[in-house]
Amino acid sequence: MRSKLLMSAAGLLVAIAPVMGHHAFGGEFDPNKPVLLKGKVTKLEWVNPHAWIHVEIPKADGAEACQFTPNAKCDEWMVEGGTPNTLLRRGITRDSLKAGTELVIDGYQARDHSLNRANGRNVTYPDGRKLFLGSSGTGAPTDGADPTEAPKGRGRGGQ
Amino acid sequence: MTFQKTRVLPFVVIGAAAMVWSMPVGVDGQAAKTPAPAASKRAIPRLADGHPDLQGTYDLATLTPVERPAGSPLVMSDEDGVKLERQAAARRDQLGAPIDGNRAAPPVGGDGSAGPAGNVGGYNNFWIDAGSRYTVIDGQRRASLLIDPPDGRVPQMTPQARQRFARNIRPTSDQSAREDDPGFEGGGAYDDPERRPLGERCLMGFGSTSGPPVLPNYFYNNLHQIVQTKDSVLILTEMVHDARVVRMNAEHLPKTVTKWMGDSVGHWESDTLVVDTTNFSEKTRFRGSTPNLHIVERFTRVDPKTLMYRFTIEDPDTWTKPWTAEYTWPATDELLYEYACHEGNYAMGNILRGARLKEVNDAKKTSKQQ
Repeated sequence: MRSKLLMSAAGLLVAIAPVMGHHAFGGEFDPNKPVLLKGKVTKLEWVNPHAWIHVEIPKADGAEACQFTPNAKCDEWMVEGGTPNTLLRRGITRDSLKAGTELVIDGYQARDHSLNRANGRNVTYPDGRKLFLGSSGTGAPTDGADPTEAPKGRGRGGQ
Repeated sequence: MTFQKTRVLPFVVIGAAAMVWSMPVGVDGQAAKTPAPAASKRAIPRLADGHPDLQGTYDLATLTPVERPAGSPLVMSDEDGVKLERQAAARRDQLGAPIDGNRAAPPVGGDGSAGPAGNVGGYNNFWIDAGSRYTVIDGQRRASLLIDPPDGRVPQMTPQARQRFARNIRPTSDQSAREDDPGFEGGGAYDDPERRPLGERCLMGFGSTSGPPVLPNYFYNNLHQIVQTKDSVLILTEMVHDARVVRMNAEHLPKTVTKWMGDSVGHWESDTLVVDTTNFSEKTRFRGSTPNLHIVERFTRVDPKTLMYRFTIEDPDTWTKPWTAEYTWPATDELLYEYACHEGNYAMGNILRGARLKEVNDAKKTSKQQ
């Protein structure tokens, strides 16, 4: 019993950890404007504090000609992610996400609806694999704990 | 709609945990008698002047939180530690697992996520690097960084501090006055860019990452670099590229000169670097403290790959007694990257624009009702 109590208390500790972030998302994005974006990557802004993935979404009255869908009009959207530093340490660079890659993104639009911007609540390939995690592994940083895990770039323990 | 479960639930858990984190808890323990960390007998690198060479890059990521549930043990059993580390790995696996590629948009009205995810869900976990191990000291996993008071909780705030804290605290997303929009902060939180948190403004790392006291932010950008000369020691923090210069064997600046990270002076006590920091400005207010905050940090190179970091913090205008925490800083071969936060901080503009538009829309609604 004591052990169970301890475990439940300790389980709470695990949950306590990530309570903050660079900014709160609630002020930036509108909970009443959910979006589902299906389109292709045009550009990756590899910047801090948040990377922004640009995608073109085909739309009949889109603002410009699509780069990757011939004879069609597209709107360009910007999707907010996290810091590139984390990915750099796993060997992922600005070139890892090629222009033309097809993505499915769900999130919420910026509170200023004149902006085609959304948070990348889930950024996946069309088959549902999470971005950057599609090849292998779990998405956890390579911490050297798993001897079967191949080093990825300069990941922790992956020298 | 399984994706909603995998996405929303963790944030709900985080939000609930954040409330626990912030709840003041009584103190009834004795002062800890933990001995100061001693340098190991193994040879440690030294500078030409004979003092230990503390230089290097350190990775402060840890699963060990600052506090632990009141009265629970400081040291975990190996069995519990392994279990909890596996749970953390399983959670990362779960968050990294594929979801439905043919999913629908998330729900209108928000996804219910709390804390920084602000009812809109934040972003994917693959951007996060929160650590995968508990802090190990003398071969034992620690359940909290805090060692004194021995119950593992930050001491009670004084009644005056509680009143001050309640008056000054900016409402968080969780405590919004806006019942119709729970992710939106109340209390005029968006009225002025300077009312936004220092982290959001790219001025300081959140969670006292730069310190003092230096704490893990439990999120990402966990690296710190120390550069040392005879006259000064630089502590560079990846998040938000904050640099603190410790002046060695120097007097504190006059009280009228205040700094965001305080005024740090250092000296050697045997092989331990002792850094004394006072002269805080009112800008940072660590955990609701006042400019009278006084922090003593102790850096000891316990072996060639590890620094022991311990701090004692006091502010009689804030806490009923001083408190002490410690954790190891493992050396890493990783590079500390620049975190040029202003570079692409579109979020700040989006947030302020959103608030202005909300004001306009609210005014329109009000005038229609009249």
